Amino acid sequence: MDITNAQFPFLSTILLVCIAGLLGILCTPGHRHSMIRWISTLCAGITMVLSAYLFFAYDKVTGGYQFAENIPWVPSMGIQYFNAVDGFSLPMLLLTGIVFFTGVLAMWDLEYRVKEFFGLIVLLVLGVYGMFMSLDLFFIFIWYDVSLFPMYLLIAVWGSTRKEYGAMKLTLYLLAGSALILPALVYIYTASGLNTFNVLALSQSGLFSTDQQKFLFILIYIGFGILAGIWPFHTWSPVGHVAAPTGVSMIHAGVLMKIGAFGVLRVGMFICPEGWQYWAHLMAVLATIGIVYGVFAGLQQTDLKYVIGYSSVSHMGIVGLGLATMTVEGLNGAVFQMFAHGIMTALFFSAVGYIYDHTHTKSIPELGGLTKIMPRATFYFIFAALTGIGVPCLASFWAELTVFISAFRTYPLYGTLAVCALAVSALYMLRVVQRTCYGPKNDKFAHIPDISLTRSIPRMILVSVIVLFGLFPSIMFDIIRTASTTFMNRL
Amino acid sequence: MTTTAFTHPSVLAAVLTALPPFLAFVLIMLFLQRHRVLAAALAIGTSGLSLCTAVYLLVRHGSGVPAVQYQAEWLVSGNIKISAGAVLDPTSIFMLCVVTVICFLVQVYSLGYMAKDPGFSRYYAYMAFFEGAMTALVLSPSLLQLYVFWELVGLASYLLIGFWYEKFSASEAGKKAFVMTRLGDVAFLLGMLVLLSHLGNLDINELNSAGVINALSPGVLTMSVLLIFGGIIGKSAQFPLLTWLPDAMEGPTPVSALLHSATMVAAGVFLFARLFPLFSASSTAMSVCLAIGTISMLLTSTMAMVSRDIKKVWAYSTISQLGFMIMGLAAGGFVAGTFHLTTHAGFKALLFLCSGVFIHHYNTNDIFEMSRMGAKSLKIPMFFIIIAAAALAGIPPFSGFFSKELILMQLSGLDNPLWLAAGVIGAILTSYYSFRLIFILLRPGANMGAADRSIRTNSNTHGHHHDSRSEWLMGLPLLFLALVTVSIGFFQDQFSHLLSPEATADAAHAAEHISWLPFLAVGLCVSGALWAWVEYGRRGSAQIGIAERLPVIRALFAERWYMDKIYRWLLDHVIYGGVSRACATNDKKVIDGSLDSFARGAVDSGKILSKLHMTNIQAKLMSAFVIILLLALYSFFEA
Repeated sequence: MDITNAQFPFLSTILLVCIAGLLGILCTPGHRHSMIRWISTLCAGITMVLSAYLFFAYDKVTGGYQFAENIPWVPSMGIQYFNAVDGFSLPMLLLTGIVFFTGVLAMWDLEYRVKEFFGLIVLLVLGVYGMFMSLDLFFIFIWYDVSLFPMYLLIAVWGSTRKEYGAMKLTLYLLAGSALILPALVYIYTASGLNTFNVLALSQSGLFSTDQQKFLFILIYIGFGILAGIWPFHTWSPVGHVAAPTGVSMIHAGVLMKIGAFGVLRVGMFICPEGWQYWAHLMAVLATIGIVYGVFAGLQQTDLKYVIGYSSVSHMGIVGLGLATMTVEGLNGAVFQMFAHGIMTALFFSAVGYIYDHTHTKSIPELGGLTKIMPRATFYFIFAALTGIGVPCLASFWAELTVFISAFRTYPLYGTLAVCALAVSALYMLRVVQRTCYGPKNDKFAHIPDISLTRSIPRMILVSVIVLFGLFPSIMFDIIRTASTTFMNRL
Repeated sequence: MTTTAFTHPSVLAAVLTALPPFLAFVLIMLFLQRHRVLAAALAIGTSGLSLCTAVYLLVRHGSGVPAVQYQAEWLVSGNIKISAGAVLDPTSIFMLCVVTVICFLVQVYSLGYMAKDPGFSRYYAYMAFFEGAMTALVLSPSLLQLYVFWELVGLASYLLIGFWYEKFSASEAGKKAFVMTRLGDVAFLLGMLVLLSHLGNLDINELNSAGVINALSPGVLTMSVLLIFGGIIGKSAQFPLLTWLPDAMEGPTPVSALLHSATMVAAGVFLFARLFPLFSASSTAMSVCLAIGTISMLLTSTMAMVSRDIKKVWAYSTISQLGFMIMGLAAGGFVAGTFHLTTHAGFKALLFLCSGVFIHHYNTNDIFEMSRMGAKSLKIPMFFIIIAAAALAGIPPFSGFFSKELILMQLSGLDNPLWLAAGVIGAILTSYYSFRLIFILLRPGANMGAADRSIRTNSNTHGHHHDSRSEWLMGLPLLFLALVTVSIGFFQDQFSHLLSPEATADAAHAAEHISWLPFLAVGLCVSGALWAWVEYGRRGSAQIGIAERLPVIRALFAERWYMDKIYRWLLDHVIYGGVSRACATNDKKVIDGSLDSFARGAVDSGKILSKLHMTNIQAKLMSAFVIILLLALYSFFEA
């Protein structure tokens, strides 16, 4: 296993910046709103730049785990503070940085309990960063839970539309997931007999018997998979998205769901590869159902955010299908799709956020004719919709295409079904675009100003990222494949 | 086919053809939304550049420079390799010329047509985007790159059909076009996936090579070819995915001329031509293609016979002519199909652009209405539209005659005479409906009736404003296209020599075989035109066609053989009311319902348990006493 130690602890710096930001916010008086916003923006900006730096500074020739920091934490129990990044986690770090930064900017106009809101957001993202960079099971679990709990408050306090229900449902679901993961982790720790939580040490072959792996993998798959919105454990996701405020939806759908898929990959597939191979067919079935089911259920929705919520179910199904193919191409596509979907859905929610904040409705029949009133604001919405239906030269297209190609080879039937869902996805996305944006000018909303250029900044960042990776997908694939080829060769 | 470096002059020229329009699109969208003149200048400038490089390529490769290909890696993921590049062979170069010529002319024409439109800059941005995507499609050396740009021209089509997005019908038509072509594209993608899983590579030249074709089993070959043909059905609006194209006429008329008749919809036929060796390797697939082309051609010809909307007539005729091209290709006539594509692009663009002048002038699409308002007084467009209609009908010496005759000749070479018969009927009907429209325009007659209100005017923003400058701008492209229509037929030999030197000999050979065919073709067209004259053009004619005398037939034709109704029903009852509702209900009732009741159960059992801890202390003491007593008794008797 190639591990390159860090010359400078970039990864810890990211975490420390978040912690510093959190402390800074806590120490600022609650009424100084703009100071709090600036602190969070600064914190988000620094972490975004750092993660982008890591993404581009990663040595693709050497590959393996880089920027590693390994400090024994509780030596008697084998707990290590072990952070490192590889081709799987780098795209996730970059995604987190971008969505964090744009999410904070998208919530710039928040006036209600500003201090608490930004404090919780920073705490949440701290957990997410930690989860993506950690290679120690103990820390992975800790970070995972750190990222889940702020969600409850963020939705229950700042949310809308059945917010208590949504927050409670989400929390219960995710805790149920944790309840499956924890025993699995404890079992891994005790049964291995190595007295270590180190993922890399635990993922060496021959440590667990095939039956053990089968048992562990299904626990981990469902436990983390709940967070990734696998069918039929997906219903928390649309409800949660709808209830959450804009910035939280962005982080939630953009990053948090990826934690689930990443957990399946990093913990499940790394430690129990044979279990993965055994359950891959089930994964493919559930993923395909998710893809098809998501688009059909989305067709029936009348609430803008529900539509996006179901599109997330469908798009995360593509991630699942990619993981289930057991091929390098499938893994590449799945990880790319995690990134692309994160960016796309963040753009979606930020666009809807502007519309909802000003029209005070998310109901599609009540909207319409918005392009005449706010051409810029609806541009972002339409752009996100086009990304969602897989228009070429936008990031999602390549992810979907590569997943389809590999899925079709491994599971011709499921691959075919997933491809067919493309047609329906075009139908429901364009239907929503037509009903909300097009049509004659709506006098009800005629007084609403178009989005200003400064408020457009986060959306512009997201659009440019989508276009950048759409035009030059190899930037992303070159990074991912350093990890995926090593991983598949090891099997 | 040699692979070459990026610095090869042909490759550089190809890059200069495809890339500048994209840049123009980005620049206009970002910076020139409010600068109408600059936006148009940029779009037309890049279009002119593309035209020049395309002509340069034609001259260069037409004079014997061998075909070249350039490919660079776009992305590599495991064993999936997607490349971007350009192939410069006769097929791509002829199509490139067709596309760039029509693009340039239509953009010049639009200067006049769209002059007063508030979305002027946006219009030119989309046009530039389309041109970039279409040229890149034509130049694609691999099927995956072709698919990428195939989707992008579809997007351009969506945006341009729904250009006047305030109008519900326009945005509806755009959506319909995108979704219906998407259905075809799904098949196309699946076809590519089948090929990929057997070959691992989608390079077009390799696909067409004998080695690859022989390596595939006949079943796989037929299946993949038919799936790819599904994409062609969607894009070229063939049966059964044809109803989006007439609706697409909601877009501005120059858009209909460019995308929905001359170039974008012809991309399907182009793909057929591109993969011609692969397609011809499967005779089953070729028969299916032939059947689909024939059905589309005949069905839409009947629809065109009863339409009152000038653009709809040409739209039906486009589908019908595309079907005719597919028949030609599927009958084995590579040159016949591609030559008809070329001539059709010219005269159909001319037809649309002339109709645009009428629509612009009279603010209606209804031919009877136009005629009543004095359409024949617009001498110049009337003259050109007659030329174009004659070409469509296949009257010599206009271009359509030559290409149609080629196709009929191919059909006559088939074993089953039915195909030739279908072609003959199609030719008569085509001639009939083209001249029906011309005679209606020329002779304001009795059958005015009430203007059909369902035929909307093109845009509310268009008034009666036509200064001389805009008339010149709209007139020059007409003149040029008319010249092309009149003359291009005589370049048939050069064309077939450019495309495939061997085929020329075959064609000449076939021509000897059936010497009466040209006379048949002329006879057919003239009889169709005469029929139209009897019903519509003759002094004192009632201007009621034979199809309109029978209400059932009329309704059948006017309702597009009820295809739209059937699709609507399927969409409402199977998709929305069936699968989609089932999924949504399942989510609400089954998944969430069971979870919510589980949660409620947990809360309720908690309530019951909590009751034990809270109220009624006497009862609790009493029950405690009873329990202790029972336990005591139990232990007493047990002992």
